[in-house]
Amino acid sequence: MKSPSAILATVCLLLAATAAAFDHARPGYQYEFPRDHFSHSTFKTEWWYYTGNLQTAEGRRFGFELTFFRYAINEQGGDSAWDIRDIYPAHLTLSDIDGGKFFKTDRLNRQGPGLAGADTEQARIWNGNWEVQWLDPASDKSPQRLKAYADDFSLEFTLTPAKPPVIHGLNGVSQKAAGEGQASHYISFTRLEVTGSIALNNQNFPVTGQAWMDHEFSTDSLGPNQTGWDWMSIQLDDQSELMLYRMRRSDGSTDPYSSGTYIDPKGRAQHLDWAQIRMTPIEGSHWKSPATGGLYPLKWQVEIPDLEIRLDCATDLEDQEVVSRKQLGPSYWEGAMNFKGHREGRPISATGYLEMTGYDKPLTIGPSK
Amino acid sequence: MRLFQQIRPAPFDKLKAEPSPAEIPRALPMPLLRLDNVTKHYRADNQDVVALDAVTLDAEPGEFLSIVGRSGCGKTTLLNLAGAMDFPSAGSVHINGVVTSGLADAELTAIRRKYVGFVFQFFQLLPTLSVRENVELPLLLAGQTANTQQAIERLEWVEMADYAKRLPHQLSGGQMQRVAIARALVHSPKLLLADEPIGNLDSTSAEIVMNLLRRTADELKTTILMATHSQEAARITDRIVALRDGRIEEIRRP
Amino acid sequence: MTAALTLFIRLIVRPLGREPGRTALTIFAIALGVAVVVAIHLAGTAATGSFQSSLETLTGDADLEISTVGGLDDALLASLQALPYPVRFSPRIEGFAMIEPQKVSIPVFGFDLIGDRSLESMAPPKSFDLDSLTRHDIIWAGSGVASEKGQQLRLTINDQTATYTVGGILETTSSQGAPRPNFIVMDIAAAQKAFSKQGRLDSIEVFLPERDDRRRNDRDWEALISAALPAGVTLKPKGSRTTENRTMMSAFRWNIQVLSYISLVVGAFLIYNTIAISVVRRRGEIGVMRALGAGRAAVTLAFLAEAAFLGAMGTALGLLLGRIMANGTVEMLAATVRSLYVSSTPGEILFTPDVVVVAVVSGMGVSLLAALAPASEAARVPPSEAMARGRHETAARLATGRRLIYAGLLAVASWGAAQLEPIGGMPLFGYLSALLIIAAAACATPAIVDRLAQWLSPVLRAAFGAQGILAPRSLSASLARTSVLVAALSTAVAMLVSVAIMVGSYRDTVIVWLNERLQADFYIQAAGQREARQYPTIDPAIADRIEALPEVQAVDRFRGYPVYYNGRPSILGAGQSEVLSRLGNLGFLDGSPPQQVLAKLGSSDHVIITETFANHHRLNVGDTLQLPLGGQLVDLAIIGIYYDYSSEGGAAIVDRKTMLKYLSDPSPSNLAIYLADGANPESARAAIENATSGFSVTLADHRTLRERALVVFDRTFTITYALEVIAILVAILGMAGALVALVIDRRRELGVLRFLGASAGQIRQLILFESGLIGLFSNTIGLALGTVLSLILIFVVNKQSFGWTIQFHWPIALLLGALTLIYVAAILAGIYPARVAVRLNPIEVVHEE
Repeated sequence: MKSPSAILATVCLLLAATAAAFDHARPGYQYEFPRDHFSHSTFKTEWWYYTGNLQTAEGRRFGFELTFFRYAINEQGGDSAWDIRDIYPAHLTLSDIDGGKFFKTDRLNRQGPGLAGADTEQARIWNGNWEVQWLDPASDKSPQRLKAYADDFSLEFTLTPAKPPVIHGLNGVSQKAAGEGQASHYISFTRLEVTGSIALNNQNFPVTGQAWMDHEFSTDSLGPNQTGWDWMSIQLDDQSELMLYRMRRSDGSTDPYSSGTYIDPKGRAQHLDWAQIRMTPIEGSHWKSPATGGLYPLKWQVEIPDLEIRLDCATDLEDQEVVSRKQLGPSYWEGAMNFKGHREGRPISATGYLEMTGYDKPLTIGPSK
Repeated sequence: MRLFQQIRPAPFDKLKAEPSPAEIPRALPMPLLRLDNVTKHYRADNQDVVALDAVTLDAEPGEFLSIVGRSGCGKTTLLNLAGAMDFPSAGSVHINGVVTSGLADAELTAIRRKYVGFVFQFFQLLPTLSVRENVELPLLLAGQTANTQQAIERLEWVEMADYAKRLPHQLSGGQMQRVAIARALVHSPKLLLADEPIGNLDSTSAEIVMNLLRRTADELKTTILMATHSQEAARITDRIVALRDGRIEEIRRP
Repeated sequence: MTAALTLFIRLIVRPLGREPGRTALTIFAIALGVAVVVAIHLAGTAATGSFQSSLETLTGDADLEISTVGGLDDALLASLQALPYPVRFSPRIEGFAMIEPQKVSIPVFGFDLIGDRSLESMAPPKSFDLDSLTRHDIIWAGSGVASEKGQQLRLTINDQTATYTVGGILETTSSQGAPRPNFIVMDIAAAQKAFSKQGRLDSIEVFLPERDDRRRNDRDWEALISAALPAGVTLKPKGSRTTENRTMMSAFRWNIQVLSYISLVVGAFLIYNTIAISVVRRRGEIGVMRALGAGRAAVTLAFLAEAAFLGAMGTALGLLLGRIMANGTVEMLAATVRSLYVSSTPGEILFTPDVVVVAVVSGMGVSLLAALAPASEAARVPPSEAMARGRHETAARLATGRRLIYAGLLAVASWGAAQLEPIGGMPLFGYLSALLIIAAAACATPAIVDRLAQWLSPVLRAAFGAQGILAPRSLSASLARTSVLVAALSTAVAMLVSVAIMVGSYRDTVIVWLNERLQADFYIQAAGQREARQYPTIDPAIADRIEALPEVQAVDRFRGYPVYYNGRPSILGAGQSEVLSRLGNLGFLDGSPPQQVLAKLGSSDHVIITETFANHHRLNVGDTLQLPLGGQLVDLAIIGIYYDYSSEGGAAIVDRKTMLKYLSDPSPSNLAIYLADGANPESARAAIENATSGFSVTLADHRTLRERALVVFDRTFTITYALEVIAILVAILGMAGALVALVIDRRRELGVLRFLGASAGQIRQLILFESGLIGLFSNTIGLALGTVLSLILIFVVNKQSFGWTIQFHWPIALLLGALTLIYVAAILAGIYPARVAVRLNPIEVVHEE
């Protein structure tokens, strides 16, 4: 459940497109792959989110995020390739954890004559020269080739799923709020083995590691009073994974529709509802963003009593805040994390990503004035 | 004294041959030149300078008057007033019976063309014109056409006809002054005004020029007013007018 | 130092102050000369510098540009954007819209308003709300076009007129003083539709990264990107188009610039004259100064300082005046640029340091150079010099023979220079030839003036008496001075005459050509834009409908594309050679019958080219022209070169079938309509208008078209004439000043004349006679010199810089009128000196010593 950038789009478009004409995420949706890895134009909002923790043979650590968004703004479209039906924002970040630097960049396109898209036939999700290509789309463990080029750095990876895709939530639906349809269809590759290279500062770093991919599509999934959220992906070294999110409400409470998923080493998913989850920010661990003034808790404690998992979560790079250009979208913190703790009494560690939104100011939905 | 010897009115009809300048007003019977209580002031360096002070003088046809005095005593001013080149500040100048005061430039020009000839100390021949052309000039300026003959005649009279085609700078000073006299007389003026005509000449040339002037007065009956420093020259004139500080000190016969 | 200063004050400053009128006239004459140079420089830069500026303030400078004839397939953009490089590719649609009803034409740019980051320098920041982007009737207007959001504009684009709503105002955030953006931006989707360019892009701008992790340089990038481009698509450094346009206009600017210096050349004569007068008049003073111990150098310096002083005053005033004149000039030049070269809006007139440098160098330089001769002559005045007048004039009279020899040598050199080839496309030797013949004429002038004065003397005497004899004499006598005046004025007259002959000949040639060329009864083009190298298209259905009319025998569909060939902007056109050969006319250089050549044109990949195109690219019949068309390089065999005066860049014409083979767009840009025999033109016009209803097109008969062409032609040369007139004005002003000096020098003589019976009127007449004679002499010499100059202009300068064949022709009425006016003006120039002469007090001037 990662919607920070949803807000970016909502800046302009929510008024424009009438939600009624779009499909909403409803229980009983029939998933079909590889079709459901790609675009769902009958839903208004869709994104593909790649994050990962990587390192070189020498142990230099990197984190990355590559996100493709699709927002429908004019369901009719038009007869010319350039007529705008959807817009495609995309974000790319690189966390040079040991170098202590965070690189971020973004772009926006329309489909145009093939400028951006997520196409089943081509088995490709792309935005300019940022792209993910399925090499063997028929297989649910198809390797994916990820490429992204920015002024400062570039990424070229092969991502191989260690487990088949996971469908979050119950009955094919990940509920975000109480209302009907305030939900999404949410698919993840929770463990992608990464090999490839990062080019940075005229240097090429061969890297390996693990990535996570979320794909979510929905129409107006957010409820009222939701001012932000915290989301985590956790890849434990016992080959299991956790996905957790907490929806924060304007009164400071947590929306009970917050939830999570546990994926066991064999790839079986288990829905966790909010009552089964403890995710607590640690007092005094806050980092104040010089850019936005947002106050982000960078240390967390995570507990899943039913699974006897207890983890301390921290990061080695404070500034992993994605500050939106031109103040058009909200800013958010999204960074590589490491986890240490115990499971069933044995020590355990993990890597993952943490996303925090609504800390610089409450999230508002609708055009910003 | 030959006062009022020949009193006759100006021949007006002849003046009308020339359309411009304008007509000369009718005159009363008078001597050819009369200066009546003439005063002339100048403003120079913001100071009033009295150049002539209550000068009264008559001159008859054929009379040769010399005006003597120191530099700045008013000789030149007197000549200019007598030649209708300037107006008096007070009093009146009568030329052939016409009062110059109040006349327009065109009328003054007409008087000069008809009655007045000038001779200058520095000859003032036009360097670009030949001797003959210089002599013709007053006739041409007066709008007369067939005048070459007249010019040649005058040159013969001053004995310079042989030099008719020369340019002024090819002549000596005395020759130039003779040409200048021919030029001043080409239109048979009644009044010849000569300002230091021998002031720039050697004594031989001066003598020739003075004889020429004497003959002019005697034979052509031209009234001559000559400003000069030379006592010798003044001696052959009819009367000597001595000026001092703009006033007539005395009028005497040589 | 102090001695020189004393000299300068004694010899120069005081006398200048004593004659404020004459000093002012000289300064003003120089100022005018400098002003013209400055104005043309400023206006030229503003008028031609603008086609790149407005967009670049908007987008920043792209590094490279991708383009091809007929536009790029927009799928190319997707493949480029997918290249693994941190390079931005920004698609562009470019065109023009006509604002209705004012008919003001402004550039329209289609941008990818979603993806393109190049608009970020605009204020307010990229606030294109997405809703507006989905509509095709929303435009973003520069603050020079519209003032507020929501405003409605009616625009004609190509053959459609529609109402657009301003979605926002664009303002540059760059430096203040920059021109207000005078263009319209549309989203690319809307722009493609409006310009009927679906699926096509006019260009893709390439922005290279500022830093690059692999340290690739511009050449590396060019190679990498070129490798990704199909054949027939060109990648060029951005700005090369601007450079190419500039290059093409450089001949035009050059010629205007050169013409602008004429006034200064005329001014040089006047400075020479002024200084020479000063020297002659102050010989006595110089002698005294020398006797008191002043060195030669000090005397020379004093007079050079006088020239420098006059030059400096003139330059300062000229800069000011030039800036003012530039205002009026810029639109004149811009109109020419638009109609002949490239569509552009004039930019801001910028007072850059180089303009000041040009002004100072030309104003001061000319002044000092012209003063060199008289100033060094002043140094030769011996301390014993008496005040003898006339010596100098005699010397000048004696030197006329030697000067005639110089004149002959210069004339031979001029003839030689005219035979030489241009340098870098610039007819530099042509200009040199012109300059040499002017110098030759100047050298011959004293002899001519002297001779003419002698001849005229008896005639004038017979006709006018004293003044008739005095005027030519005094001109001959002051030959050294009067001949300079005559040289100055006759140079100005000659330039006017030569330009009048050249333009008149050119115009005549064009009229003949137009009559021959415009054989169709009606012509149609889109109402959108009709300036240089713009070919807005019209719906092909219009042509079909018109062709189906019973009144119409045939329609020739023409389509033009702006192309760049060998770095020169030109036109690639396609017409229906079958129709043209049957009903039209075309004159070929080698005299081939048009039917024969045109029949061959349709049969294969053949092309015919214009005379200018052939000249500039040194092409001949039988050569091959290679052009990138529709993604491939096409070899076209040249089968004919034809006369054409429509564009300087020239054109290459293929048959419509050939064009459609490579470029699929069937939309024509122009239609030539031939009526059936016996069809009534009025009813045919009505039928055609009916067939085009609903489209914004202009229908014109051949007469209207011809008139329109001549309007453009005349507008082009307005400025040329203006320059000539100013040169004459300078000469006349200078003449007035110099005559005043002559009068003052001759004051004693004039005084004597008054004693001898000259009336004030006669003195006035005398001076007017002299100025009239100067005018007459100048006209005579100017007419002869001008005719020679016109030959140089037509057959050397024009041929080398533009490549046109012009038939020589005398515009007799124009010349007679101009010469009469100049004569009258010359006489009028005597009015002020005559007044000075009349006001002199004869008593004072005769007796002063």
